[in-house]
Amino acid sequence: MLRKHAAWLAAALPVAGCGTEYRLFHPAGPVANSELHFTVLNTAVMLVIIIPTTILTMVFALRYRKSRQAAYDPSFSHSLVLELLMWGVPLVITVILTFCTYASVFAVNPADPTSLDNQADPGAVAPPLNVDVITTDWQWIFIYPDQHIATIDDLVVPAGRTVRLRLSSATVTNDFYIPQVAPMIDVMPGMVTHDAFRVNRAGAYEGFSADFSGAGFSWMQFSTRIFSPADFSAWVAKTQAAPDHLDYARFLQIAQPTINETAAPHYFSNVGPNLFADVDMAVMDGKVFPVPADLDAKGPYPTPTLGKQDEVKSGT
Amino acid sequence: MFVQLQGAWSPLFGRLTLDSIPYSNPIIIFAFAFSVIAGLAVVIPVLYYGKVGYIFREWICSVDHKKIGVMYIILGLVMLFRGFVDGMMIRTQQVMADGPHSPGFLEAQHGYIPPSHFDQIYSSHGTLMILFAATPILTGLGNVIVPLQIGARDMAFPRMNAISLWLTVMGAMLVMASLFIGDFSDAGWVGLTPLTELPYSPSVGVDYWMWAIQISSIGTTLNAINIITTIIGMRAPGMRWDRLPIFTWTTLSTSIIGLTAFPILGVALALLGADRYLGTHFYTAGLGGNLMLYTDLFWIWGHPEVYFLVLPAFGILSEVIPTFSEKPLFGYITMVAATFAIAGISWSVWLHHFFTMGAGPMVNTFFSVATMLVGIPTGVKVFNWILTMYRGRITYTTPMLWSVGALLLLLIGGLTGVMLANPAINYTVHNSVFVIAHFHCMVLLIAFTIFAAIIYWFPKVFGFTLDEHNGKMFFWTFCIATTVVFTAMFTLGFEGETRRLDYLYDPDWMPMLIVEEIGIGFYCLSVFYFFRMLYVSIRDREKNRCGADPWGTARTLEWLTHSPVPFYNFAVTPQVHELDELAWRRANNCEALMPETYDPIHMPKNSMVPIIIGVFAFGFGFGMVWRIWWMAGFSLLAIIATVIISSFTPDPGYTITAEEMRRLEERKEPPGIVADSHIPRPMAEERIV
Repeated sequence: MLRKHAAWLAAALPVAGCGTEYRLFHPAGPVANSELHFTVLNTAVMLVIIIPTTILTMVFALRYRKSRQAAYDPSFSHSLVLELLMWGVPLVITVILTFCTYASVFAVNPADPTSLDNQADPGAVAPPLNVDVITTDWQWIFIYPDQHIATIDDLVVPAGRTVRLRLSSATVTNDFYIPQVAPMIDVMPGMVTHDAFRVNRAGAYEGFSADFSGAGFSWMQFSTRIFSPADFSAWVAKTQAAPDHLDYARFLQIAQPTINETAAPHYFSNVGPNLFADVDMAVMDGKVFPVPADLDAKGPYPTPTLGKQDEVKSGT
Repeated sequence: MFVQLQGAWSPLFGRLTLDSIPYSNPIIIFAFAFSVIAGLAVVIPVLYYGKVGYIFREWICSVDHKKIGVMYIILGLVMLFRGFVDGMMIRTQQVMADGPHSPGFLEAQHGYIPPSHFDQIYSSHGTLMILFAATPILTGLGNVIVPLQIGARDMAFPRMNAISLWLTVMGAMLVMASLFIGDFSDAGWVGLTPLTELPYSPSVGVDYWMWAIQISSIGTTLNAINIITTIIGMRAPGMRWDRLPIFTWTTLSTSIIGLTAFPILGVALALLGADRYLGTHFYTAGLGGNLMLYTDLFWIWGHPEVYFLVLPAFGILSEVIPTFSEKPLFGYITMVAATFAIAGISWSVWLHHFFTMGAGPMVNTFFSVATMLVGIPTGVKVFNWILTMYRGRITYTTPMLWSVGALLLLLIGGLTGVMLANPAINYTVHNSVFVIAHFHCMVLLIAFTIFAAIIYWFPKVFGFTLDEHNGKMFFWTFCIATTVVFTAMFTLGFEGETRRLDYLYDPDWMPMLIVEEIGIGFYCLSVFYFFRMLYVSIRDREKNRCGADPWGTARTLEWLTHSPVPFYNFAVTPQVHELDELAWRRANNCEALMPETYDPIHMPKNSMVPIIIGVFAFGFGFGMVWRIWWMAGFSLLAIIATVIISSFTPDPGYTITAEEMRRLEERKEPPGIVADSHIPRPMAEERIV
């Protein structure tokens, strides 16, 4: 499908010419690529009607000024043909856009994006990596259920393998977003959402929460590091030796309200097998992590403590 | 107590303690000082000229739809100003807090506002702009103009109209009170659940937000009932449905939306209130609650609310553009059809506010297509306006400039809106500032039409025109500001900046943030020109006195009566002959006919009931916010008692005799809305049978 759209590529050229700070114009991986593709396609279809209308507005607004003494016809207030056209043309555009939408929702469906299924890409047939994501106030916890490791604010995945995420929140709603890699998906308490992405080259990207979640929201970044398969295996092995273990009791400690201002990462080994499900079940049973009123009102913020392993703030 | 509160509670003062007053915060002290000075600037002249009685009797107790409308608009403009200051603070904070090395001032680590305070500012910015600026101004315009456009003497329920006003004012007062006593919600104007639940928002901020909206939305619902009844039941003879001016049509459609949508908001907030006060679990994550329930309910109100605002704005464009193009509106019937098509579709698009919440592809497609369908009638409207200008004779007065500006904003807002309607695009920019820029295009389009409407109808209500030179400077500075700020904001959306950030981690955003700040400078300049426009116009008012139709090319019925409009609106009930009645009369040389005979007019009497209900509504809201149960309970009982007592008190209004009418009409200057003297009343009492 991507190859068919030469015209789209031509239209995308000026977009790609923008600097790297234009994150959305420099996608990494099939999902982000097709996001950009549909953005450009959809905008191009819309411009077919928006540009002439804008020109027409400007021309009429300038041409029929009183001072210009142009043709004046106060009786012109109805025309069946024109009125049918003005309903018809937008309708046609909408029908075209509907086809675009229908194609795009499946291609980038967060639960199961078909843009990852291109069989020419070896990544599509490689076994996927499962990662469970839990947000707390205000940190990201990434659990690798098959590797029995977990991290805080550091998502490390191998290049060339699809990453399938299950996301849920221990507290309030957040929004998982890595602009160049993974589009937004909400992370909600008591519910599980899914997301998937793949990046074929090693690299580093910034991810963060996009949906407001309280006082520490602005500091909810996490680094996204794409490692080569060998580097990833080495990283997993190293992390499996991390001294800090993560079971539900330890989770209750780290889930207390914490603003991790530098997004300092932290690593856990020996992660309990059902931690994601346990956290989700606890939330559904009414577990909350109250935010202290003084923090809510005017600070001061708890200092980030998880960069250092020995002290964990247990909250107030 | 059903719920666990953090902090102290006492039976007498509830949660209120001396610590609730943020006297240590220099920004709030400054805001407080500014509010006090602005308040004194209004109060001192009133006292000096001894007008307290006049203000109280003729304005605060007024049931005159024009005065109520003017007070709605004044409330809206004051809130618009405060919302603007909030917006200015947001932008300034962001440009100062970009990158890990950005310096911090006052109590903040980055920029000058710490996060919890910043969160309150953006939440109050949204709440104020949507619910206490745009909504009251458009409601006020409907109040002033609709009865005039249909040839009615007043609204169907004049006293209920005043109650609507005072409930809205008291909602706004609660938001203002939150600035100085306690804090405001930090969970966004939409009230993100479960962030608004007690464990995650333990202070009174969310309660302020909830009760302010709850109280004012009751006012809006009552107003919708009033407008619908007025339009259906009080049209002048000959004002058939196919002769109804477009602004009245759009106000009707908007009021239908208001009547049906605002109760949903009331329910959504009442359930949240049950969670926060009674410990229920409607929206909590656990124990059977679900945050999606709130999200759905809120946006089932929230999206129609967008059209609640934008349809009257479209109505304003449909009045202003024909007037200054010296042509009838192109495609009257399609315009009405498009209005109701938009109002209808507005009910089936709410899910597009949360495509990212994980609904399946088919559900998202349905709401995506429904959303794009809105583009069709909107496109029809745009073409209608363009074809109205085609072969017209356009004069660029200030209202026309605002209208053409609004048209161009609508095109950009429409383009980006249809982009956002596609879930695939929405996933990448859903919570980014691209969305912010998009809906600011739409609400600024509403602001543009509001300014067009205020300048267009100002002479009708006050009897003198506004200064064109300063008006045009106001327009151009505002226009430049809008272009600069929102071009930069769209760009930042593509750079991946998300909304509601107190601290911005990415230094790459700096150049565009600086551009935005430059735009804010232009906005400040435009505020200056706005005040200068008012000042110069009021100073030179005697020079700018105007007749019934100051523009010379106006078309609808409201321009037939005097400017300023006398309190009885029309000397005799007008007979309507044609769509665009004034244009028809002008074409037939009968626009300046004086009536030969006068009939007695029955008018409603001013009343203290609305303001009493309003004050107790504030007491109820304040008591509930701080959990001062005696105050809330007493106020609620007082409201009920006031309603019962006033219902059993006969109020027949008063009648102006035909002779008195002749005397009033033959005076040179009819007693209008700015007139100090008022006819003695009641002239004669009669019971309604």
